Amino acid sequence: MNKIAATVDNFGRAILENIEEMGRILILFLSVLAWMARPPLKLRLIFKQMEFVGVKSIFVVVLTGTFTGMVMALQGYYGFRMFNAESLVGSTVALGMTRELGPVLTALMVTARAGSAMAAELGTMRVTEQIDALYVMAANPVKHLIVPRVIAGVIMLPALTIVSDFMGILGGYFVGVPVLGINSGAFINNINKLVDLGDIYNGLIKAAFFGLILSVVGCYKGFNTTGGAEGVGKATTEAVVLAAISILISDYFLTAIMF
Amino acid sequence: MFSISTEAKVGLFVLVALIILGYMSFRVGESGFGVKKGYQVNVVFDNAAGLERDASVQIAGVEVGRVEGISLKDGQALVTLRVLPSVRLEKDVEAKIKSYGILGDKYVDIVPGTEGEAYIVAGGDITRTERQADIDKLLSKLGYIAADVLEVTASLKKVVGSVEGEANLKAIIENTRSITENLDRIVTQNDEKLNLMIANLGEASTEMRKAFAALNSVVRKIDSGEGTIGQLVENKDAFDNLNQTLASLRDITDKINEGKGTIGKLINDEETVDNLNEGLKSIDKSMEGIEQYISKAEQFKTFLSYRGEYLFDSSEGKGYFDLTIRPNEDKFYLLGVVADPRGRRTVTDTTVGGTTTRTEKRERDELLFTAQIGKRFKDIALRGGIFESTGGVGIDYFAFDDSLQLTFEAFDFNSDKNAHLKAYAEYRFLKHIYLSAGWDDFISNEGRESPFVGFSIKFEDEDLKYLLGSVPIPN
Repeated sequence: MNKIAATVDNFGRAILENIEEMGRILILFLSVLAWMARPPLKLRLIFKQMEFVGVKSIFVVVLTGTFTGMVMALQGYYGFRMFNAESLVGSTVALGMTRELGPVLTALMVTARAGSAMAAELGTMRVTEQIDALYVMAANPVKHLIVPRVIAGVIMLPALTIVSDFMGILGGYFVGVPVLGINSGAFINNINKLVDLGDIYNGLIKAAFFGLILSVVGCYKGFNTTGGAEGVGKATTEAVVLAAISILISDYFLTAIMF
Repeated sequence: MFSISTEAKVGLFVLVALIILGYMSFRVGESGFGVKKGYQVNVVFDNAAGLERDASVQIAGVEVGRVEGISLKDGQALVTLRVLPSVRLEKDVEAKIKSYGILGDKYVDIVPGTEGEAYIVAGGDITRTERQADIDKLLSKLGYIAADVLEVTASLKKVVGSVEGEANLKAIIENTRSITENLDRIVTQNDEKLNLMIANLGEASTEMRKAFAALNSVVRKIDSGEGTIGQLVENKDAFDNLNQTLASLRDITDKINEGKGTIGKLINDEETVDNLNEGLKSIDKSMEGIEQYISKAEQFKTFLSYRGEYLFDSSEGKGYFDLTIRPNEDKFYLLGVVADPRGRRTVTDTTVGGTTTRTEKRERDELLFTAQIGKRFKDIALRGGIFESTGGVGIDYFAFDDSLQLTFEAFDFNSDKNAHLKAYAEYRFLKHIYLSAGWDDFISNEGRESPFVGFSIKFEDEDLKYLLGSVPIPN
């Protein structure tokens, strides 16, 4: 009897905890918005985060984008060859990269690189009581630590996505034209014809959302770390998992709304 | 060491990203740039299915604009096009909706109009459109065709696919094979003979030419009254003699017909003819000279015919026995005797002391004779000469591969006021057997006009040529 009661109890508690967590993330997000609206913004800190989130992720993003484009061209080629429509490979790669894979893969890579770092950094500060020290110095940790990271995420993600899109199409071209022998004119013309400006811009809006999600989730997990070094590790893992899941789920809804 | 500041790094990165974005935007939106400045043209299509906004507008495959809008107007599709300002459309251009391949996107194709026509102004209409090929209609038509083909193959299967059909087919193939085998054998075995025949034919034709020349001179002589036949034609005594001769000839031919005597047996007995043929063939092999002679005879076509006519009016019969010699296709000589029960009427005027007495003599059962020269022009033959012992002319018309013959004859111009005219049709209903019907002497002023039916037998060529081969032909 007790066991069953305990199971039901645990189940309910888990749901409640999840809902609570969502609420706390939202509250954190709102307070970030509130602090953002209150100048002065710490530009120096923002630029530092932008360098960390954006500039230092370029290499990873270029690599991911290029190879994604290449593999899409290869796979698309096998499909389109059945209909003698190989020249559509270019537009497939371009549409796939700009609408979906560019933003999502970039966001996932940045989550793994920067989101985890945010959680670990803030978590360490939390467990070493540096955040408490900030409170003591009457400096709001949200304003000094979280706002720059969120701003950096929202701005840098679209920028990285542009690079990813471009490199993906370039990779697709490299595989499609010289390697698979698709006519280069047809390849490029189909991209020009079938890809709209809207495809690119909507992809960038998605990327900005993903930047927001990964930075807020990363900061939240780090900010609420408990339990020493072990807790920091746990917070980092949770941050990456939660951010990645949130990005993929929100991707579906964003796509449904925008396209 | 010189180090780049954080701000510079971030700024540079964002700048690069923006440049890339700008480049991509430019490439993607490129084709739309010029068109934005273009002018609007309206087209009304019956059906704009598959056509979308921003679809390409092309002339000769070159993009000159985009589809700006599609809306409904009076149950038809009003398509607004935006065309580049540099492209000017004549009033009589034709617009049609086409697609890139069967599955491809739709686009608007504009066929240029006549040069010199006025141009369509901005906001104007393209009035000429062409119905697009509807893929659904095409498929339904294909369905009908497939059903038809299915029916054909089904009936074919019934014919060929059954056990009976298969057996028939097999039998046909077997027969064809045996025929070709036989043919092959015949040709191989008779190769030499065939060559010989052709060579002989060549020689024979040379001989024939000489023969005709001689024959022509004979005929000329006859015409001018020279020689026996010539005198016969001209001389009345000879005429009478000939009549008597021909009477006895009739006896002979009667006997021949009945199979009496040597010639009768010869004609009526197939074996004799075969023997004769065999004999001639062996002579052909052994003696060159005779071979030539016979070849010459073979060039001739000869017809021996007997015709009996029954005259309804006088309830009497009339018999004709004719020999037709046809040296070539368009020329023939006809010799014959006629037994006319009504006889030949002779009118003699005797004047004694101012009184003219007309005596009329009718010779019954008299043999009349026929000798004519004829020439044939395709389906029409013209004849002239002696008809039933009087001068006359005749015309024959041949139809249905010579099986029907329409004849008109006019002769005996002086027996009474009116000439003796005779018209009849003769039809071959069996080989060698003919039936005829006609009207004899139909303008007679002596009440001798009479319808008649006739029956005739005509032997052709093969049966007689060997007989005639023994008749000397002037060389």
